[in-house]
Amino acid sequence: MKKTSISALLLFIFLWLSGLIRAQSKEGSAFDQSKYVPDIALILDVSGVARDMADQKYYSLTIPGFSYPFLNQPSSSGLNAHRGLNFNYGEMSLYSVVDPYFDLFAVIDLAPESAGLEEAYFTTRKLPYGFKIKAGKFLASFGRVNEQHEHYWDFANRPLIATALFGEDGLNEIGAQVTWVAPTPFFLVLGAEILNGENEQSFGTLGLSDPKGSVAIDAVQGPNLYIGFIRSSFDVEDASILFGISNAMGTSRNDQGFSSIGGTGEAVDANTDIIGGDLTVKYSLDAIRFISLQGEYMYRMMNGTEYRRDSLNVVSSPSIDKHNSGFYAQVAAKLDQLWEIGVRYDLLMQNDISLGGMDQHMPSNLPRYSAMIEYSPTEFSRLRLQIDRDESRSAQTSGGWSQQPYTQVLLQANFTIGAHGAHAF
Amino acid sequence: MKLSKIIPFLLLCIQTAFTGQLQVVATYGYIGDIVQRIGKDRVEVISLARGDYNPHIIIPKPSYIAKLRRADLLIINGGQLEIGWLPQIIKQANNGAVQPGERGFLDLSMHVHLIDVPTSVSRELGDVHPEGNPHFFMDPDNIPVIAKAITERLSELDPDNQAFYEANNKELYVLWQQNMKTWEEKLKPFKGVKVVEYHKIFDYFLERFGFTIVGTIEPLPGIPPTTKHIADVEKLIEREKVKFILQDVYNPQDASLYLSKRLNVKLIVMPHDVGAVQEADNVFSVFNEIVRRLTNG
Repeated sequence: MKKTSISALLLFIFLWLSGLIRAQSKEGSAFDQSKYVPDIALILDVSGVARDMADQKYYSLTIPGFSYPFLNQPSSSGLNAHRGLNFNYGEMSLYSVVDPYFDLFAVIDLAPESAGLEEAYFTTRKLPYGFKIKAGKFLASFGRVNEQHEHYWDFANRPLIATALFGEDGLNEIGAQVTWVAPTPFFLVLGAEILNGENEQSFGTLGLSDPKGSVAIDAVQGPNLYIGFIRSSFDVEDASILFGISNAMGTSRNDQGFSSIGGTGEAVDANTDIIGGDLTVKYSLDAIRFISLQGEYMYRMMNGTEYRRDSLNVVSSPSIDKHNSGFYAQVAAKLDQLWEIGVRYDLLMQNDISLGGMDQHMPSNLPRYSAMIEYSPTEFSRLRLQIDRDESRSAQTSGGWSQQPYTQVLLQANFTIGAHGAHAF
Repeated sequence: MKLSKIIPFLLLCIQTAFTGQLQVVATYGYIGDIVQRIGKDRVEVISLARGDYNPHIIIPKPSYIAKLRRADLLIINGGQLEIGWLPQIIKQANNGAVQPGERGFLDLSMHVHLIDVPTSVSRELGDVHPEGNPHFFMDPDNIPVIAKAITERLSELDPDNQAFYEANNKELYVLWQQNMKTWEEKLKPFKGVKVVEYHKIFDYFLERFGFTIVGTIEPLPGIPPTTKHIADVEKLIEREKVKFILQDVYNPQDASLYLSKRLNVKLIVMPHDVGAVQEADNVFSVFNEIVRRLTNG
């Protein structure tokens, strides 16, 4: 008797609760906003690396002349940095329409012990006459490869000339961009960017000062980097041809212990002008197979003053004049739904540095050769095997620079989950 | 008149002088053909994707951006068929008129009933479309529905020609119903005939005319066939006494050919869009050609 009444009571409570839950789930969704969750995606990139050079030696190498001393070394936190297994990146992207007037896009770069905002910007949706404004932090529209995220590249690493001039993270700046798409029958876009210009390889805003007061240069205030670009495209039968010219101008500042108190140090205050040209041709053989050719050329002029303080605390200020250039050319072919192969040739060509009118005899004509094969079970997963022979890096010796070529084999795996937007051409 | 009023007016004059007609961009050939039939000389239509290519995977050519930049109206299939290639084109075109949500953006999937809407989605199941099967163009009964939606939108954007568009739509409707009768007549004997498809692209057509779909050669949508799956399909074809293997024009035909030869089952390659095969150069001939290929012997 007691048992049944308890059971009845429990049953009653259960029914009452389930009714309550049902009522709540309906009423409780009155302020539900889950439909407004932005498109969220996570991209994961891991790799295994075999390299015929010890890691410590690899990190000490640099491309002399292309940047300030010790800046264009492979960093231990970069892509495929370690022999053995690498966690390259976890990249979380968020996208949503803000309202009828704006879109918002952000990419959060996730590393095992840190997170950083790689990109976060808004764009306008309906400015008239073909204009669009973008502002925030973003990858600059300089050339072709710079705006693309790593997982969209045909190879596991950035082209050499782009790394030499802009560093491992590319030209990624805070600023604003305006583009205008011409109402022409062929594709034509003009764009201008005003950026903070903090890229440590080619630009910079630091103030420079000698503790003794012989040099006092203020930090650059406000925007420091101006980019202009023009890009056009036309189709010939089943081939799409896209080409563009970009120009980046800004102040370059760099300080290697000059503004600190005591000891030797050097610093640079210069004007930098970089010109780039890019060409992409994609030819469809049928609905699945295609061949794509891509190449970029970049040329940098930098001139200004180098400040040096020697061990006797004497400051000299010779003029510095740099001319650097290089290009890469790559061919990739999609063989079927699953397989793609490609080769790439990188060359750093001109490397003329003159300090106080004296040629510094920097190594030039530095190549890198790459080949890859990739297997994509679906558009959301990809395995890539790549081999690189890099002859661009040198180690500093007492007599100058000694070239240190190395060969590496990379096995890279890349995955995408969630709502990831379509890629551009 | 103040200068601030004159400038927009002049720009408007230049714009209309340049175009005159309504500029319409359609993502696929079938949409372009229907727009042309309703708009005739009052519209200029551009279709983006090639009809013989995989509608899911279209290279987002920059030339498409230029086409969209000048468009007054963008008409898409929807149902996520364009999700892999169109969104970036829209973003890069800098044309506020054709942004999703604007009157210059028409999503046809909003006007038809989609079949096979999954109750849950996971990419474990391949390239599943959460809104349902997007190949609704393959049901000929959807053509008048699509034509009506297009007529309404053209009339809204260009009210001066509303009567013209409506008359053309009526004409299309009558002609379509006549053809429907012929197709129904010819396909009557095929009710209950069992078929296997490569990809779930002809479902709307097959369901409309009473075919029975017993399987697909793709193990999962968008995933190429594996040896094991082909062996399974082979057993299925034998067990179910499948009469036809139906294949689209853009996917590799190796697996279908193998099964067809081995089991002596007829392989029929069918158009899925205007331009998929030479004979299918408009919406009528797409279905004429499908019916002809199915009923030929």
